[in-house]
Parts: sequence; C-alpha cells; structure tokens
Amino acid sequence: MQSESMYHVLTKMIEGDQQAFHTLYDATYKDVYRTVSFLVDHPQDREDIMNEIYMQMWTSLPNYDPSRPFHFWLHGLVIRQVQRFRVKSWRRFRIFERIRVFSREEHHWDQPTLRTDGTDPEISRAMHKLTDKQRTVIILRFYHDYTLEEIATLLDIPLGTVKSRYHAGLQSLRKQLGNLPLERMDKNNAY
Amino acid sequence: MPIERQISEYLHQEAETMECPPAVSKRIEQSYSQYLQQQRSKKTMKKRLIGSIVAAVIMIPTAAFAAPPLIEMITRTPMTAKQVKMDAVGQAALEKLYRSYPETKSFEIIDASRLGGDPANASQGKAIQTSIVLQEKGAHGKKIRLDLNATGEIEQVNQENWEPQEKPVISLTDQEIKSKVDDLINKLYGSSSKYECNMEPMQNPDQKTFILNYTEKGSTTPFYQAFVQGNTISVSLIGGGPAPSVGGFFMTNGKPDYTADAFLNDEELFSLLHMSPADLKEELAKGASVVEIAASKKISKQQVMDVIASTQAKKQIQADPHGGATVDDRTLELLKRILEPKVLKVIEHKTETPW
Repeated sequence: MQSESMYHVLTKMIEGDQQAFHTLYDATYKDVYRTVSFLVDHPQDREDIMNEIYMQMWTSLPNYDPSRPFHFWLHGLVIRQVQRFRVKSWRRFRIFERIRVFSREEHHWDQPTLRTDGTDPEISRAMHKLTDKQRTVIILRFYHDYTLEEIATLLDIPLGTVKSRYHAGLQSLRKQLGNLPLERMDKNNAY
Repeated sequence: MPIERQISEYLHQEAETMECPPAVSKRIEQSYSQYLQQQRSKKTMKKRLIGSIVAAVIMIPTAAFAAPPLIEMITRTPMTAKQVKMDAVGQAALEKLYRSYPETKSFEIIDASRLGGDPANASQGKAIQTSIVLQEKGAHGKKIRLDLNATGEIEQVNQENWEPQEKPVISLTDQEIKSKVDDLINKLYGSSSKYECNMEPMQNPDQKTFILNYTEKGSTTPFYQAFVQGNTISVSLIGGGPAPSVGGFFMTNGKPDYTADAFLNDEELFSLLHMSPADLKEELAKGASVVEIAASKKISKQQVMDVIASTQAKKQIQADPHGGATVDDRTLELLKRILEPKVLKVIEHKTETPW
C-alpha cells in the first residue's frame, strides 16, 4: 500500500473507523508477524508483542509524519516493541504464571522452531545462534533490505555499531555455514 | 552463491512459511475495539495505560488453573471513577480501603474496569470481576489495585511503590517482607494469624521473587498466596480447600502430575461416571482419557465437560466456599463457556503425555 493511501487510512483510524483498522491490519500483519517471528522465538511472546505493536500503533498515530515512508515508521514500532518486551517488567507475571501453571508447556514452547519445509535448516540453526542484536541487524538488512544507514536510524544507534553488529553477524553465519559439509556428513552417518 | 544472497533467499522463503495464528488477529481486533470503547467513554478517566489490559488479564486470580488467556476472551468494560463510586461493589471496596489505609482517600482512581455485566444497567447481570486502580498523586506515587469478585470480595490486591524507591520491598529482610504481607492481608482480607505461612524464593531468572503461601492446617491449597517482587506485593485469595481425596490423577515422567487434580476431584463427576476417585485414577493410569472412560459408559464428552465447567465456574464466582453468594445463570453460563477449552484439555489428556 502506498504511503499516501495509508495515511488516509490512518486518519480514518484516528477518527475511530473500524473498517480502516481492518484495512490497515490486513495490509500489515503478515509483514509484522514475520518480522517479530524472526526476532522472537517464543510463540506466546510473539503474540503479546503483536498485540503491543498494534496498540502502540493506535496510540502513536498522531505522531506519524506522512512525509516519511509508512513501513519505515511501522518497523520502528516493531523494533521498539521487541526491545521493550525484552526488558519489560510485566513479563515477570507471565513467568510466574508459566512456572506456576504451565511449567511443562513452557519447556516445549521454548524450543526454537526449526522449520525444514522448503527452507534450509542449516541457515535456520545458524540464525538462531546469532545474538539478538546481531539478528535484528541481519533481518533488517536481508529481509527488509534496509541500508546500514537506515538501520542505524531505525535502531537509534551509531552507524559504526550497526556495521560492527552486521559484520559480526555475517561472520558468525559464515562460520556456522562453513561447517556445512561436515554436519551433513554427520547426519548421513546418523541414519 | 554468496552468503548474502543465500541469507536473503532463506529469509524470504522462511517468511513464506510463517503464518500469523488467527488467535493473534482476533486478540488484536478485540484490543482495538476495547481501545475505541475507551476513547469514547473517556470522560473523567485518565488515559488508560498501554498494557494495562494485558496486566489485568494476567492478574486475574484463578481458582485452580483457569488459564489467564481464557479470561481474556470476554471483554473488559472500562468504568469511570463516578461509575465506581455508584457501583455497590466498588463503593464497598473503596470504603474498606479508605478505612484500612486512610491515606488512599486522597488517591486518584486512575483506572477501573469490569468483566461481564453492564455498569450502566444493573439488570444486565453482575460483573464477574471489578478492578479498580488507585494512585497517589505525583510521579512515582503509591499505587494499589483491587480485583473484586461478583460478591464484592477482594480476589486480588496489588500494592506497588509503597516502599521508598531506593529501598524496594524486596530488599527488606525476610521477616520485614513477611510482616508487610501480613499487614496487607490483615487490613484488607481479615486475619492472617490462623494460617501457616511458608515463604520461599522463586526460580525466576529475571528478578528476585518471593512467594508466600498462607495455608490453613490440614489444607493442601493455600488460602492466600502472595508474590513479592521489586516494589510490589501481590496477594490473591485462593480460598484453600481440604486435601483432595485423590491426588495425581495423571503421571508425567513416572511422577504424579497434579496439574488436573483441581478439575478432576469433582464429586459431580464421580457420580456422573459412577466411579470412586480411586477407580478413576486406576482407569486413567491405563492410558485412557476421561472422555474415553465416559464413552465406555455411554456418557458424552459434553456431559463431562458440563459438569466440570459448572463446578469450576461456581468456584470462581464464589471464591469463598462459605460465602453462599447467589450466582446468576447468565454469569455462570459465561464463565462456563470460558472454561470449556481448558476443561476439554484436561478430559482429553492421557497420562504420561505432555500437556
């Protein structure tokens, strides 16, 4: 969706138009969900973050500057909510509840989801080994095709820091994927 | 293929396999209509804090293990400060609070909401839960949140920032922490002295946390349960209960699993199945689910679910077993519907399988 029509939708949403909410949601939720999924492993956390992102979106609509690309603004929200979630204090209550009620389920949920249908399990595994900070930069660069300068703006950190996380991330991936043939051989032997 | 291209292709391919669960969309849609409702009804209320809805849902104390996400399914209706003061349950709670902590008279009601019922129309049924949040004026003021059940009993209280910021409650000595919790229970619930208190640190990787269980002699379930973390004390009324006739209906890794006991220790269920608790346990140990055992006796899944959901719903409405509150049918039905998915999980569960 073009930024202009998006802004129109946003204006309608501020006025409380439910239809506009649906239009906006439909246009964005896949992208947002996928981005969150790349950055956060736990399905319940993803769900909470999704909710927070959209709640944040409604409350900060008046701050959106229509001259800026909408997706860039949206990704800013996504990144901030993911970061906020990592340090957020109310999460402790979730932890209470999980310990108390779902201790068995948690164990199951916390396994990183390794998908093998059509995608490369080695890269997937390598991606999971990145630190959160490196992963964020790698996703923004290769999934959203942002330049390193744009990423610096999005994350609100110096360009140099982005570069170092980017290179460290790539190096770690390269190292992991460098082991590829060996791992594959191990696998073959295992079966 | 250069690694950059490989990663980019992988990410795009992987993204295609990620489907946003419909439950997420539903939840967001619900949050949005709630937000709209709030915007419309916002008169004297301050703008609601983001996340308070989530917090509210999490804070709802649950009898045995009605999971918080289930309660999320009904919408919370925001109330204005005026509505709280007009409401019988709200009024009584405020009076009690003002009596116990006179300083709270000057606090502002910064948030209030209810689950079920209609604040403007009493004939629409009672609220299942009314929540009121009060805060001292000023940036880091003392804050207190009360969650009241249909009969006006306090189900949960959350006391935040009552100690100076530089010396939060968790930094006090164990004895001091316990006396703070005792004081809160004495003032808002009744006496804490007839309960045995067991205080233990929780395994929480993020933050130091204590859990305090106040248990009556001869009871297995605590009567009050308190969590202390940061500068917050949070007390829930659990209501205690006698030792269940049979514990550990299911097993996990060869050890008794108490997860479903609260649901299965149900006299109504035993009489529906014409089984003693011990027989039921024996049958379950053979690997059958409750549904299958019922089916062998020509009892439908719906019947089983109905019996358990109804017991649990009643328990939730009357958190105090001796309260004798009248339960209106509408509220009961609503709660039962909410509990059904959880009950279903229990009655379809088989021993030694992960939950």
